Amino acid sequence: MLNLSSITARMAAPANGWTGFLDRPKSASQAFLVAGAAWFVIGTLYGLVSAIDLVAPELFNNIPWLVFGRSRPIHVNTVIYGFVTGLLLGSGLHYVPALLRTRLWSERLGWIGCFFWQLTVLSGPLTFSFGYSQGREYAEYLWVFDASLVISVVILLFDMLMTVASREEDTLYVSVWYFVGMLVWTCGVYPIGNVMWRPATGAVPGLLDSIFLWFYGHNLPGLVLTPLALGAAYYVLPRITNTPLYSHTLSLAGFWTLVALYSHIGGHHILQAPIPNWLKVYSVVDSMAMVIPVGIVLANLWLTARGRGGAIWRDPAGRFVMAGTLWYLITCIQGPFQSLPSVQTVTHFNNWTVGHAHIAVLGFSGFIALGALWHVLPLAAGRRLYSERLVNLQFGLIVTGLAGFFAVLTIAGLIQGSAWYNGEMVYRVLPQIGVYMALRAMLGMLIASAAILGLYNAVKTITSGEPVALSAASEEVNP
Amino acid sequence: MKMTPLLLVFGGLMVFWASVFAMVIIPAITLDRTPSEIWRPWTEKEAKGHDLYVKNGCSYCHSQFIRNFDWDLGAERIAASGDYAGQTPAILGTERTGPDLSQAGGEHPDDWHAAHFTNPRFTRPESLMPSWEFLGKENLENLTAYIQAEGGRDADFRVARQQEWKQAALAAYQSGPDANIQWLHGQIPAVWQPMPNPYPATPADLGRGKKIYQQFCIHCHGSMGDGNGAAAPYLQPPPLNFTLLRRHLVENRYIGGIFYYQIMNGITGTGMPYFKRELESEKIWDVSNYLAVMFLGYTDANLEPRGIEASYEPPWKNGYEAPAAEDVK
Ligand code: HEC
Ligand code: HEC
Ligand code: HEM
Ligand code: HEM
Repeated sequence: MLNLSSITARMAAPANGWTGFLDRPKSASQAFLVAGAAWFVIGTLYGLVSAIDLVAPELFNNIPWLVFGRSRPIHVNTVIYGFVTGLLLGSGLHYVPALLRTRLWSERLGWIGCFFWQLTVLSGPLTFSFGYSQGREYAEYLWVFDASLVISVVILLFDMLMTVASREEDTLYVSVWYFVGMLVWTCGVYPIGNVMWRPATGAVPGLLDSIFLWFYGHNLPGLVLTPLALGAAYYVLPRITNTPLYSHTLSLAGFWTLVALYSHIGGHHILQAPIPNWLKVYSVVDSMAMVIPVGIVLANLWLTARGRGGAIWRDPAGRFVMAGTLWYLITCIQGPFQSLPSVQTVTHFNNWTVGHAHIAVLGFSGFIALGALWHVLPLAAGRRLYSERLVNLQFGLIVTGLAGFFAVLTIAGLIQGSAWYNGEMVYRVLPQIGVYMALRAMLGMLIASAAILGLYNAVKTITSGEPVALSAASEEVNP
Repeated sequence: MKMTPLLLVFGGLMVFWASVFAMVIIPAITLDRTPSEIWRPWTEKEAKGHDLYVKNGCSYCHSQFIRNFDWDLGAERIAASGDYAGQTPAILGTERTGPDLSQAGGEHPDDWHAAHFTNPRFTRPESLMPSWEFLGKENLENLTAYIQAEGGRDADFRVARQQEWKQAALAAYQSGPDANIQWLHGQIPAVWQPMPNPYPATPADLGRGKKIYQQFCIHCHGSMGDGNGAAAPYLQPPPLNFTLLRRHLVENRYIGGIFYYQIMNGITGTGMPYFKRELESEKIWDVSNYLAVMFLGYTDANLEPRGIEASYEPPWKNGYEAPAAEDVK
């Protein structure tokens, strides 16, 4: 058991000076979490705008900052970096020190990391809206803001390594591996994918750029979102079920196969482009092999939780995390399937992929991020969750919205892909997907409302949640 | 195996950089950068247009490579890696909400793009593409220049053909409405001219024709068929006023074959696109009947020469009277 009383005593002490709150334990974690809840609202509202653009292109006619080509990258980057990654980083700043029975080496560095991170996310709406963008999907941020993100990651990595060095728990728990691993890899993935050595364009000339871009485009889910989400799931689930982790060996196998395989499969995004054949073969084979790390991790998590389904379902955060692991399963059955060249003849270039992207980023990593938010925020703030019912309502809204997304986008994609394959022109197929685009926008409103409820609940929790007695707050049941 | 901080960081780095080496560095060293036979450098204007394309997110709706099983715009050339030489960034795209643009150069003349960029629904009534009017005239010209360069030397060939026919079409247009129509019809192979519409102009047929007209033609040729659609101010020559055709029937009888031919092939050099990729035979005949009945008040549907009726055809008799030669003059 971790003894947090000395830390919480400091927390209760009056802040010294105006910067006092910067030193308050777990304050950087809370900053990431609240910002993440806010980005969820902003990011999804931009998603809603993009969705409306695809239903009624005249509605925002000639409003430059709402035009599809600009609102879409704001949506995608804000939900990925601001919402999902933000929440998962925030929860990690809490759970890594907690699991190492220490405190964050420097809370101030945590804040600085948070500041640079949020600056990058904020640059999305502020630059893309006005037509300043590097334009490469997922790598749109301008060079200065790329730099700001990398600075943030380097600072957080340093803070984490120092935290690890000053730990009081000898064993590194699997969540720590994933969290530190993500920071280590991001220092490589991000500059390479964003071609940061060419600041003006952020791209290399010619077709080669697509190889760089999709190396990044798949490592963003693979080495950023997935490790963070798995780290959080490995933390939250055993704590809720109060059971020890099923297997250390499986943890190791899952971790190393993830980084070994995931980093090879970017080519499956450009399978039909004129890239070298060996690269295609490599990425398809390794995409199939992805069932190994996914299967191992899910087996480990689910076996850890076996027999405790009731406890998980009753816990609002546990429900989110468990649902996230289910979406992970679905995503990673669909993923290898759609990596097959014969399948891609129909599924590539259309809404099928957009469906996959939503169950992956929102379903898998987003659900786990929300679970982590609702589990960690009360611990970090030392207050009880403001409202469990709001969390459950949020869960219901997002599950309905996302399941609906998956259905309508997959149907729309199959209509487009099959029609094209039979020689139908893109323009002719537009009216046929109209109804699905409309349904997507309507379902999106459920998700947007859920995001707003979540922000309200998070803010209320840290401002007026019932303070938790020290003993309860500090009770760290480490898995 | 025990996970130590050292193993975590250095092991993680090693596995990661091994992948970088295999998946990024080897391709970077070995990828053939030789330009393909259609490649040519961009002009300054085209490069500016490309920049706008990148910054405004055209790539989220348009892809930039043709696969060997594609049928749509550009399907005549399967993408090759040398097509992208030097382009920075060459954004291939992952979504085809709109058609692939890698071979869009010369598909339409510049005036079509002026109308289309101002509001895509002017030329494509059901388009989902946003209006780009807010970018301003100069930017739209740059974008157009870039689009016209898509496809390199192949595009140059097509653009030159557009320009050549633009000259001819403009000259014809300036010589007056009737001379213009005579010129237009003069380009149509003789076998197509005395050809009636083989589809009976039943109410159902006209209903289908109307739907096609609204989906494809209405904002150019106008809801009255007088050529005054919203796109008209941007197009030179402007869309044809169909009502004039009443006095240009072939042998004072036929118009179906002319309609079919023009709709199928389009009129290169003018805003009038070809529709042979989008509309199969019956749809072209249906919309031809609709044009004829609505805007000429006459159709040659089912007139002689005519073969054996198709099995589904209802008993339908053409009751339309050809305009008397004197009252059309
Ligand atoms: C919301 C998605 C969307 C965005 C963003 C978009 N387009 Fe389009 N575009 C379409 C659709 C749909 C079509 C097909 C219908 C039509 O021609 O308008 C199209 C058609 C076109 C065509 C006509 C192709 C042809 O010859 O038939 C061109 C050229 C074009 N777009 C260029 C652009 C440029 C340049 C941009 C960025 C400034 C852009 N598009 C942004 C959806 C989009
Ligand atoms: C982008 C605008 C545009 C669209 C869309 C368009 N047209 Fe045209 N159309 C024109 C122009 C311009 C001309 C030629 C005018 C000229 O050269 O004088 C023309 C000419 C024609 C002619 C030639 C008539 C003749 O007697 O030679 C026919 C027929 C025609 N259009 C039918 C259609 C139909 C049917 C559609 C829809 C399926 C359509 N057009 C869509 C602009 C358009
Ligand atoms: C087993 C694992 C997975 C495999 C094999 C896989 C495979 C694929 C493939 C082949 C595509 C491209 C589809 C196309 O363009 O035709 C794709 C797209 C995508 N995947 Fe996955 N996927 C997996 C898991 C995930 C996970 C876990 C995430 C997120 C956390 C994710 C996020 C995405 C996103 C965002 C896209 C859209 C990219 C775009 O913009 O085109 N995937 N995936
Ligand atoms: C109100 C709810 C939402 C709506 C209406 C919405 C709508 C959209 C739209 C219209 C697109 C563009 C699709 C296209 O290019 O055709 C998109 C893309 C995307 N959205 Fe959302 N979205 C919502 C919520 C979310 C959330 C919460 C996440 C993640 C947590 C997310 C992740 C993504 C991703 C990763 C893409 C890129 C997909 C791709 O390139 O294949 N969205 N969304």
